[in-house]
Amino acid sequence: MATTPHSQIKRFGFGRIIEHQLNALVFAMLVITGLSQRFHEYRVSHWIIKTLGGVDTMRIIHRYSGILFATLIVVHIAAGIYGVMKKHWPASMMINVNDFRNAIENLSYYFGITNHPALCDRYDYKQKFEYWGVIAGGFLMIATGLILWFPVAVARILPGEFIPAAKAAHSNEALLAFLVIIIWHIYNSIFSPEVFPLDTAIFTGKISRERMVHEHPLELASIENVPVEDIIKHHPAARADNDVQPGEGA
Amino acid sequence: MTEGKRLFVCLMLLFLVIAAAPMAGFSAEQGLPEDVLACLGCHGERGLSVKFENGESLDAYIDAKKFKASVHQSLSCSSCHGEFSGQGQGHPVRSFRSREQFSSKSSAICRQCHADEQLKRSPVHASLLTKESKAPVCASCHNPHTLTSVAGGSKFSSEKDQCLRCHQHAMGITLRSGDKVSLKVDAAALEGSVHAKLGCYDCHFGFSGSQHPKRNFNSPRDFSIAQSEACRRCHFDKYTKTLESIHYTLLSQGNLKAPVCTDCHGAHTVVQARADKLQSSKRCGRCHQDIFGTYTKSVHGTALVQDHNTDVPICADCHTAHSIQGAHTQDYRDKVPEICGKCHGDGTLMKKYGISPGVVNSYLQDFHGVTLKLYRNQKDAAVPNGSRKSIATCVDCHGIHDITKTTGPTTNLVKARLLKRCQKCHPGATDEFPDAWLSHYEPSLTNAPLVFLINLTYKFFIPFMLIGLILQILLHVWRYAVNR
Repeated sequence: MATTPHSQIKRFGFGRIIEHQLNALVFAMLVITGLSQRFHEYRVSHWIIKTLGGVDTMRIIHRYSGILFATLIVVHIAAGIYGVMKKHWPASMMINVNDFRNAIENLSYYFGITNHPALCDRYDYKQKFEYWGVIAGGFLMIATGLILWFPVAVARILPGEFIPAAKAAHSNEALLAFLVIIIWHIYNSIFSPEVFPLDTAIFTGKISRERMVHEHPLELASIENVPVEDIIKHHPAARADNDVQPGEGA
Repeated sequence: MTEGKRLFVCLMLLFLVIAAAPMAGFSAEQGLPEDVLACLGCHGERGLSVKFENGESLDAYIDAKKFKASVHQSLSCSSCHGEFSGQGQGHPVRSFRSREQFSSKSSAICRQCHADEQLKRSPVHASLLTKESKAPVCASCHNPHTLTSVAGGSKFSSEKDQCLRCHQHAMGITLRSGDKVSLKVDAAALEGSVHAKLGCYDCHFGFSGSQHPKRNFNSPRDFSIAQSEACRRCHFDKYTKTLESIHYTLLSQGNLKAPVCTDCHGAHTVVQARADKLQSSKRCGRCHQDIFGTYTKSVHGTALVQDHNTDVPICADCHTAHSIQGAHTQDYRDKVPEICGKCHGDGTLMKKYGISPGVVNSYLQDFHGVTLKLYRNQKDAAVPNGSRKSIATCVDCHGIHDITKTTGPTTNLVKARLLKRCQKCHPGATDEFPDAWLSHYEPSLTNAPLVFLINLTYKFFIPFMLIGLILQILLHVWRYAVNR
């Protein structure tokens, strides 16, 4: 497949794009309606609650957003399992030993020990860890959310203490998820110098070949059917080390 | 007594008068009529008294100074005491059954000069004249020998003296409703009240040294309600508060039993309402007997009644004194944690009784406490509150007027109340369901270890994650900058 450095490579289909936008919307809704209960002392929380029509209405919104979120996760997992099993999709989201190796390689690169970042496949280790974090956290939120929604039924089977425990887990996990998204995800898709001002991949479904070289060289090599060494020859970081004369860099 | 002896006594008296005159002080008696001086020869000495048949006695001493200052100073003794004169048979021996009979006979003499027309000009006298048989006689109020002018009131040292001259005596009127009202004022209680320095007219408008208007009240209650309006002249802040109270609402709806100022504070005996907590709560108990009975059996009431403990709340501490709200309103229910928290959130006070002040916060920070707070916050906003739930508060488990200890024999009572309250909003809640409420305990390894461990884990995990991610970001930015 012939590609130029500036050509665009298809990365996501329409289904994945819609899925992401829905998830973003539901997540925002859940965060707004949920954290304003956790941080009930703040004026901004009061404003949100009043604007949404009172705490009772807000809780209803929160619960129905939760149902939507749970549906999205279940559909996603089901579609993923079906795709991998029946349609022979590559299970590219699975974490393997290479990912831990990549993490160490990347840190070495950041510290200047090696001269190129880890060579990643379709999803790099950061994306995989974030993905599984969302899946695991999502199931935790769904389970604890249901406990809080149906405390009477839960108390018939489980000790009563599970209800305040679920509240503690739900509330803390929500804060963690919110902070990870706000700091990590927003950095990587907006503020990271490599994508600033916005990583448009999830909106257009496409990514530039230049970024592929940098971020997903293994995938690009398999797309273009060339050895990965050919791809990273043009790696900017590698070039910097090889071509620039001493004194000119940094 | 023989003729000779009587003459001797008269001569002796004359001698005594002449001898005593310089000692008694001429100035006091100067200008008094001759025959008065003669009588004062004996009656100017203390110790002289008249005995009545029923054993009562009356002091026959006349204070010359006061008599001279009185309105009757120009009269001679015989002007009133007609049978008496300085000569011969001038001191007849009379006998009276009682002091009352004597006074009533004497009062007839007053009426010789003070015609009914003149008396009727005073409403007090007018009302007395209509029921003459039982009416107090002139001398009951007016001592004829020391009587001063009423007009202007200036002859009294204070208006209180003036009013009390009459109102210290047992007196009363019958209102149109047939109720008898005592008009006696207990002078000692008045002096002991916080209003000791006020004059009568400060509260009894329309009355003065010269004015004593006839008032027209149907019943004693009408009078009390009207009279309590006087309080607002000084206590306007309290008055405006009462306008918001359930008592005032009831009163304005025509329930005359609703209390007014004087019902709780008293009238002439008004004291600092808070000075005696037990008395204060008893005052509420006069109408709210059942509740007061329940309260006295509660942990707070027992401490107040039996141990005279003044740390405990009385009625007014929870219900307020003046702006008392209906206690069955949602608004009042919502305030309960705040009310209980006034004492139970006070660390120093609770330490005295070995109670944790954290109980208030453990409620307020829990789901129900937060919801209640949010409900209260959105109250003023344009949020429809009609469908809002009634949130469980302190009183639902601990009792309202029958608040009990949570330890000892009443533990199970509190637990039973808890389950019952849970089921109100959570139908089908089982016996285990209330365990979801941590009973005010802070989660720890011994109490609710699961909650404690989850919180502890996140306490470390969240900062660990965030610091890790931020370091990654910083390294990434740094590497990018270096490469450029």
